[in-house]
Amino acid sequence: MAARGQSVGGMRGVAAVPSYVVMQPTTLCNLDCAYCYLPLRAADRRMPVPVAEAVAASVNPWASAGRFSVVWHGGEPLAAGREHLAALMAPFAPEVEHHVQTNATLIDDAWCDFFQEHGVRVSVSVDGPRERNGDRVTRAGRPAYDRIMRGVSVLRRRGLPFSALAVVSRPRAGLAAELYDYFLDLGCDVLGINIEETEGVNTRGNAHDQADVTAFWAELVAAWRREPRIHLREIEWSLRYAAAVLDGVADDLLPRQLDPIPTIGHDGSVTVLSPELAGFTDPRYGDFSSGNVLESPLAEILAGAERTPWVGEFLAGVEACRDTCPYFGFCGGGHAANRYFELGRFDGTETEHCRNSKIRLLEGVLEHARDHQ
Amino acid sequence: MPETTSDRQPERTAGASPAGVAERVRDAAPGLIALLREAETARRLRAEVAGASGGGAVCAWNHFENIPTFYNWNNRPR
Repeated sequence: MAARGQSVGGMRGVAAVPSYVVMQPTTLCNLDCAYCYLPLRAADRRMPVPVAEAVAASVNPWASAGRFSVVWHGGEPLAAGREHLAALMAPFAPEVEHHVQTNATLIDDAWCDFFQEHGVRVSVSVDGPRERNGDRVTRAGRPAYDRIMRGVSVLRRRGLPFSALAVVSRPRAGLAAELYDYFLDLGCDVLGINIEETEGVNTRGNAHDQADVTAFWAELVAAWRREPRIHLREIEWSLRYAAAVLDGVADDLLPRQLDPIPTIGHDGSVTVLSPELAGFTDPRYGDFSSGNVLESPLAEILAGAERTPWVGEFLAGVEACRDTCPYFGFCGGGHAANRYFELGRFDGTETEHCRNSKIRLLEGVLEHARDHQ
Repeated sequence: MPETTSDRQPERTAGASPAGVAERVRDAAPGLIALLREAETARRLRAEVAGASGGGAVCAWNHFENIPTFYNWNNRPR
């Protein structure tokens, strides 16, 4: 990694062509998780088919040029229903891959048939064993764990591979091994660990003791190492960075430009870089959107995304990270939503999310490596 | 607008001088090299190699780095 004053390359400006888009088929979620950032999850505002048609008009040419995916997110995407979701998927070319991030509570054999018929790849949100899912509750406030497990059991019975995402609210030693063992038993292929973030309508604090968080990640490495059957996102990326440093190619690791990661809201609005900003407004930044696909082609909106006022401020923030943070070569700059919801602006630098999920992660991996030489 | 709008002081992790992160990675090389070898073996066992195709979640991962979180780890454009 370059020293301060030497510039780490990559992450300069926003690419005009994304590698995937996030689509919100409905704002509704049938759960009411305590840490959720989504502002409209109690309302069923469904995406009209013309929105999907407009997105597909830009996406299909991109998909013919290279691998491209649509991620159906929410709300709870399955709450849109099979018929509506199928109508939204119909405009997309066959080579477009489809993914859903789901709470699994609605998954049954009919949904599994749907996943197979449409080639949908599934990722399930679950936070570990029953007692770690206290924040995942129904709209009536009841634990959702049994319903989540019913859906997962159908996936398993049908032999459908799935990924998992877990939110950890209080990272500390003693928890990581328990979590990893749980997900080994669950049978997921891929696992991502999200330390809870303060963003959107979730105003719970995310400041943690440095030693606790570092110990959590170090323990996770040790647990994973005992049986590395799962592709564990945080470890894979940490090791990729470590390998690049040891090979002397760390400055080439970061992408040349930022992926715009466009989120298409239910109404066709386009929010780039951080899906968590969609649906919010601010006196200074407006509604954060860069346009609406019902008014302009997505490709055109993305080509002009850097002119969105907050995006320009965010890019200044990325440069500030590059200039000041010794972890920039590993991280690539703090995420837009974390900057905004923690710092109130986009050109600030280090956030609690940076600390919990980037800095202390790398430190935990290094701690493990030093202890196992 | 979030409640917290004040600037926060950067975390000063022990040894994290401006160029210290890479240096400490290199200092941990013996342990890291063993870990990297095991990770490579694990990827092979997961059939998680470049150009792999199929319908599994791991294949999707190769595409996105960290999809289906929908949130790229440190962003992966073309």
